[in-house]
Amino acid sequence: MKIGIMSFAHTHAASYARLLRGEPDIEVRGADPGPHQAGEVRGAELARQLGIGYADSYAELMAWGPDAVLVTSENANHRPLVELAAKHRAHILCEKPLATTWPDGLAMVQAAREAGVLLMMAFPVRFASDFARLRAQHAAGLLGQVVSIRGTNNGKLPAERAWFADPGLAGGGAFADHVVHIADLVEALTGAEPRAVTAVSNRKLYADRTEAETGGLVMISYADGAIAAIDCSWSRPASAPTWGGLTLSVAGTLGSVDLDFFGPRARGLDAATGRPIELPYGPHHDVPMLREFTSAVAAGRQPQPDADVGLRTLAVMLAAQESARTGTTIAVRPI
Amino acid sequence: MRVGLVGAGVISHNHLPHLLRLGAEVRVYSEAGAPELVAAHGGAVAVSLDELLDWAQVIDLASPTHTHYALARQALSAGRDVICEKPLARTDEQADELVELARQTGRHLYPSHVVRYFPAYARLQGAVRDGLLGDLAVLRFYRSGGFPVRSAWFADRDLSGGVVLDMMIHDLDIARWLAGEVTQVSATWTRAGDAGQPADTGQPADTGQAHDTGQPAEASHVLLTHESGAITQVSGVWGAAHLRFTTGYFVAGTGGTLQYDRAADRGFVPDLARGPAQGEAVPETDPAEDPYYLVLADFLGAIRDGTPTRVTAADGAAAVRIANAALRSARTGQPVTLVAGAAS
Repeated sequence: MKIGIMSFAHTHAASYARLLRGEPDIEVRGADPGPHQAGEVRGAELARQLGIGYADSYAELMAWGPDAVLVTSENANHRPLVELAAKHRAHILCEKPLATTWPDGLAMVQAAREAGVLLMMAFPVRFASDFARLRAQHAAGLLGQVVSIRGTNNGKLPAERAWFADPGLAGGGAFADHVVHIADLVEALTGAEPRAVTAVSNRKLYADRTEAETGGLVMISYADGAIAAIDCSWSRPASAPTWGGLTLSVAGTLGSVDLDFFGPRARGLDAATGRPIELPYGPHHDVPMLREFTSAVAAGRQPQPDADVGLRTLAVMLAAQESARTGTTIAVRPI
Repeated sequence: MRVGLVGAGVISHNHLPHLLRLGAEVRVYSEAGAPELVAAHGGAVAVSLDELLDWAQVIDLASPTHTHYALARQALSAGRDVICEKPLARTDEQADELVELARQTGRHLYPSHVVRYFPAYARLQGAVRDGLLGDLAVLRFYRSGGFPVRSAWFADRDLSGGVVLDMMIHDLDIARWLAGEVTQVSATWTRAGDAGQPADTGQPADTGQAHDTGQPAEASHVLLTHESGAITQVSGVWGAAHLRFTTGYFVAGTGGTLQYDRAADRGFVPDLARGPAQGEAVPETDPAEDPYYLVLADFLGAIRDGTPTRVTAADGAAAVRIANAALRSARTGQPVTLVAGAAS
């Protein structure tokens, strides 16, 4: 199977490349045409470091005839790459969020559908074993009826790539970066339709680094009566020992379950500085996610999370942005 | 000091022993349960509210929320100082009127926002006050426990204000204490299952046994915008009866972050074959630094010596205003704007 990586703009491009390059029967080639931000290792040099093949342009990458592609560009540039891949009949794993505008999202889904290619969203957290346990317990009725969900996805303002702090390329700030993961987990857990979103934001943290919101709180009302709240803030100090994390607390009529997806870690102190040492351990959620994608491509079946999940989580993200901007509760657009 | 305690429900077990330990003489008036309460802790039973009002210098209201206003009004009008369980009153107007009446009569009026006296929250406030966290940006609070089926009025939102006015008001108060006045409030609220017709025994809940199949649950999320620009999320759940009382916070400012979780940050972790039943109506506390003692000590000290208290009547009224704004927002589906500093 030939897999093309379209753009190294997102830091996940490198981790996907590292995981795929050693797989038998998978050949990986990337394209990452410039210009690139000064100081960032990109393009042919990054491909060389990752030990994968490289094409100088997307046209050249498409000419190679990939069976599938990973779209890991800046958020705002997903659409042209997805459309290009669809045109060349390559199946697509798209980095989250699906897009930064509703018309872009619709056009991408339409392009994939018309070309008959599979479109999957890169939401790795739902592949965590702990989440599988939660789903099984929920399905077995152990939680009763879910009434409340609290999610946190707090991190540093991503520093490895400058575009994360550029609202134009990122499609916003903390809302664009972190709302969709938890929206996806609720999607995977209950499948309930999100109906209304209220959000507030500010820009007190990392104020010197971006014009976008860095603090964001979001509430979602679902059609089944459940209510969710998400803290998507970039509230992890830049000096912290790790990037951040993602937690989920689900309360039902029969009890509650708390998950801390990146929580388990060895903790200690550095003798020289007194700073905390935190060494997270545990399986990499990207592994089962990529396996779902490649096996679905091989079998010609639709992988999950699919395009509809991409659109619904995008709709929640856009509603959060609009709510914070207008100070009103926003109805989530149906797909 | 002669203290008249009104009410003999669960929370009175967190008032009476501390009042006695503080050296107060206590009489208890309640429609039910007063003899049992007194038998458990001491003090005496008052046969009527009139007797209590005649005898006492201070009235301590540990009665249901919807009774606070009339009882506090009666006590203040009779020249008594008043300590009142949170919320200070059911409505904004009632709370404001009580604050004004206390001012006019020159009597003390204190709402028991006990969470300000819980060590993890007091430590947080001290850190914020001392500037450790810099300019506050994002605050998050959560609190959950079993649905209070021990007495029917909790489930009646008109009487209790539900999980928002009964439980989350603690964290709404803490958020305002830390980050200042609130200018906008939005909320979601939901309830599942049948709140049922539980017996009002006036006794502590037989936690964990009563209704593992009844399954009423109520939950709410509230978002606040503060005058300072800080934003706050408060989440609350009244859920299954076996739930431990869970509380926690995460606060981020330009200077750093602080977080606390009652389940994770425990200094005593038993795992015993014959341990106590699960479920708590109120959180267990360290007897050496019991917040229910500290709050009453603060209030009785203020009444005796005129010392300032950690929480004031105006704070209580402001918390009621924020909580009712949340209920209004949950009902209308839109954020509610508050006039900053409207707390009288």
